[in-house]
Amino acid sequence: MEERILKMAEKAAAKHGVEYFEIRIARVSAVSVSMQNGQLEGLSSDLERGISVRAFKNGWGFSSANDLSRAEKVIETAMKIAKLSKGNSGIYKGDPVEDRAELAGRIKLEDVDLEEKLKLVKEADKLLQGEKIKNRGTSYGEGTKEVLYLNSVGSEIRTLTSRVRLRLTATAMENGSMQEYWKAFGGTGGWEIIERVDVEEWTDFVSRKARELLKAEAPPSGEFDVIMDPELTGVFIHEAVGHAAEADAIKNGESIFIGKLGERVGIDELTVVDDPTLPEKFGSYTYDDEGIKGRRVEIIKKGILSEYMTDRETAAVLGLEPNGHGRAQSYAHQPLVRMSNTYVEAGSWKPEEMFEEVKHGLYMIGDKGGEVDVASGTFTFGAREGYIIENGEIKTHVKDVSLSGNLLEVLRNIRAVGRDVEVSFPGYCGKGQWVPVDDGGPHVLTRAVVGGLR
Amino acid sequence: MGMEAVDALIGILERKNLEWEIYWESGRSGSFRIERERLERSQRKFFSGIGLRVGINGRTGFSYVTGLTHDRETLEGLVKRAEKLAKVGSVPFRGFPSVEGKLPAIKGLYDSRIEEMPFEEAYEMAEEYSGMMAELKEKKGREYTFSGGLGLAFVKRGLVNSNGVEVGDGKTGLSLWAYAVRKGNGSGNGYHSQSYTGIDGFDEAGKIITKALDDADASYSAKKLEPFSGEVLIEHYTLQSLVYLFLENLYGESVYYGRSRFSTENIGDEVTSEKLTIIDDPTVEGSPGSYPFDGEGSPGRGKELISGGKLRNFLLDHTYGSLLGLGSTGNAVRDFRTVPHIGTSNILVGPGEEGLEDWDGVIVSKVFGEHTANPVSGDFSLTVELGYSVRNGEITPFRGNMIAGNVFKVLKRVSRVGKEMERSGAFYGPRVASELRIV
Repeated sequence: MEERILKMAEKAAAKHGVEYFEIRIARVSAVSVSMQNGQLEGLSSDLERGISVRAFKNGWGFSSANDLSRAEKVIETAMKIAKLSKGNSGIYKGDPVEDRAELAGRIKLEDVDLEEKLKLVKEADKLLQGEKIKNRGTSYGEGTKEVLYLNSVGSEIRTLTSRVRLRLTATAMENGSMQEYWKAFGGTGGWEIIERVDVEEWTDFVSRKARELLKAEAPPSGEFDVIMDPELTGVFIHEAVGHAAEADAIKNGESIFIGKLGERVGIDELTVVDDPTLPEKFGSYTYDDEGIKGRRVEIIKKGILSEYMTDRETAAVLGLEPNGHGRAQSYAHQPLVRMSNTYVEAGSWKPEEMFEEVKHGLYMIGDKGGEVDVASGTFTFGAREGYIIENGEIKTHVKDVSLSGNLLEVLRNIRAVGRDVEVSFPGYCGKGQWVPVDDGGPHVLTRAVVGGLR
Repeated sequence: MGMEAVDALIGILERKNLEWEIYWESGRSGSFRIERERLERSQRKFFSGIGLRVGINGRTGFSYVTGLTHDRETLEGLVKRAEKLAKVGSVPFRGFPSVEGKLPAIKGLYDSRIEEMPFEEAYEMAEEYSGMMAELKEKKGREYTFSGGLGLAFVKRGLVNSNGVEVGDGKTGLSLWAYAVRKGNGSGNGYHSQSYTGIDGFDEAGKIITKALDDADASYSAKKLEPFSGEVLIEHYTLQSLVYLFLENLYGESVYYGRSRFSTENIGDEVTSEKLTIIDDPTVEGSPGSYPFDGEGSPGRGKELISGGKLRNFLLDHTYGSLLGLGSTGNAVRDFRTVPHIGTSNILVGPGEEGLEDWDGVIVSKVFGEHTANPVSGDFSLTVELGYSVRNGEITPFRGNMIAGNVFKVLKRVSRVGKEMERSGAFYGPRVASELRIV
């Protein structure tokens, strides 16, 4: 079938004068199980096949279908659209690659019975129960994607990638006040990732945190010294630095990082990396969705803005090398420049030394998501909890803390980078499409605006 | 139904001792992306599929297949998967809706010109849109960059269940967005978008770009505002962010599982300012959030969620409506890949009687970071993308501050409601005045 599809595409490309094309044929199987308050809410096990074709001639034409019997229509449509294009973009073609890559882990997800997954969710749900816990939620999700990538240069890449994720949530209530806490685990690989999660320990942690937050105070507001824990460092660096260093924001004249390659943006000790090759992380992959091998990118190296993340198009237009950051949500989406696993490398500070530096500030812990305006560099992100620091000591527990700042200012204000790197915070990043990512880093001390209620 | 696969599936299901529901969809979407005033990428996608829910002994199972053309073996496999999931799991089954009278006739949801539009014509339309941006760039100069997009789509869907419900409809959509960046000694940016159910929405294309441009200019000259607490004017977009945060507490599922601030006992309680009325209405003519039937075949109907500040209704599908003893409000949303879940249709915040044109004080126009807010406690702190400070008629834009507050308190303290309504997608609302902390 593949040969027939490729031949059909080559013929259509010649007919429409298309310069470059690529085809992705995917088979995706997914399982999800979710439970709330002891009641199973969702249980699904699905299989889907689909095809997409992307063609380039000054600009892009793209078409997809979730029905392989429409392959011919999809090929013809993508080529016809590309032919119409009057854009003035470019494309990096590169050399043909023939390869097979598998990131499916040791214990294949399909070899584990659905009953086992159901048992895990039921067990977690039971363990989340506790005093003042009004709501408990557990969700398990897995997906295995087999993709055949073909392009007009002659590449033929077969990849098999499995991802798995478990999320625990608890909502505590007392005297009409409600607070929730959650924790997610996951990665790229097999069931062994789940087996390593100490469900008993973490369910206890999550429900205890929800209860403790009931007693926490509202945070103060204003500009403060802020120490971010590894998880919050991750979301900060993803939102504030990562999105601004995606080369499509540079190419489109939007990012605050335009024209700043080679410039100092932070202290010597600050190195920010995006690396899809980290083993087992949620944002890991071997090849991106444009058939380019993913590689480690040093966005900021020793305080200097060093590299952007690129795809085939931005690399060609900006005169850079493609570094395998063209990712798509599914076969039915066009690849965009995206992050993978983004983190801050280790510095030299012990966390306790950092706390000693803070006379009056906040220690902020856990990721509650964020958003950035890449043009102005203004970002916002939330922490799940925090503590007020007085003269180096951790004091009052605070809740519902959000931070805001300007990317360049907050980077400039980083005073200390810790030694304790952790990259294990699986999540999803939205940019019109959702892709799995991971992020992290060590404890980092900077200054930012805290939007508190006091 | 006139569709072979659906008819065959009904045939298989009718020979079994179970309850069933088939939902199918078929459609096409086309979208165009403009970068630096040039049309750079275009796409056309085809999608179709069948979702099957079965109910056996108080348990439900769901599975789907993509495409609408299937042999008997595939369809039997689909039924087997759904049956297996019902047996393995214990997802509660509360029955499927029955026929509930006539569906509302809602005008203006389907424009045949969108379905019939050849790709070349859609492309020309997108080129016209990018041409408007190029023209504006020419006029405004090198400091400005415009990008944007245009999307056209149609979907046909149908639902049939073992209780005799058999419904189908077609819907079309046009969406437009524009993003303007101004970079000189500083930088500013503005975004505006709108969606429509018919092709005539394109008449507003120029207005959308101009709004993005105006915001970019305001943002360019904006500085941070000195922190303060007090009454501010909350514009349409910020009100939208706050209302959707509040609405998370009205989803039947959250109410049933205790993740909402409210329970059924709170119906009738005063939960916002008496000046506020919030309605969910899928029957608004020509509105992007409208539908004659929801994802379970229940008729779409308008309902007051809040009126005169009092809680009147929750947002419910058949399952949670039944679990809470209230019945469905026709708010099940889905596609063929998913089981129905609760969602909103068109949300309308009722207009007041205030002019609010001559506001002297702080105006918060747009914010971002809504997902960092805590819907259960109601606490939020959001970054101001654009706001204005008006003193004696002099308007000074600001941005980069945060607004902090508690959504329940902010909606409770709404002191004035404007009479002018604005629409963004499926949200309709006025400007309101309430108390906020500007950080």
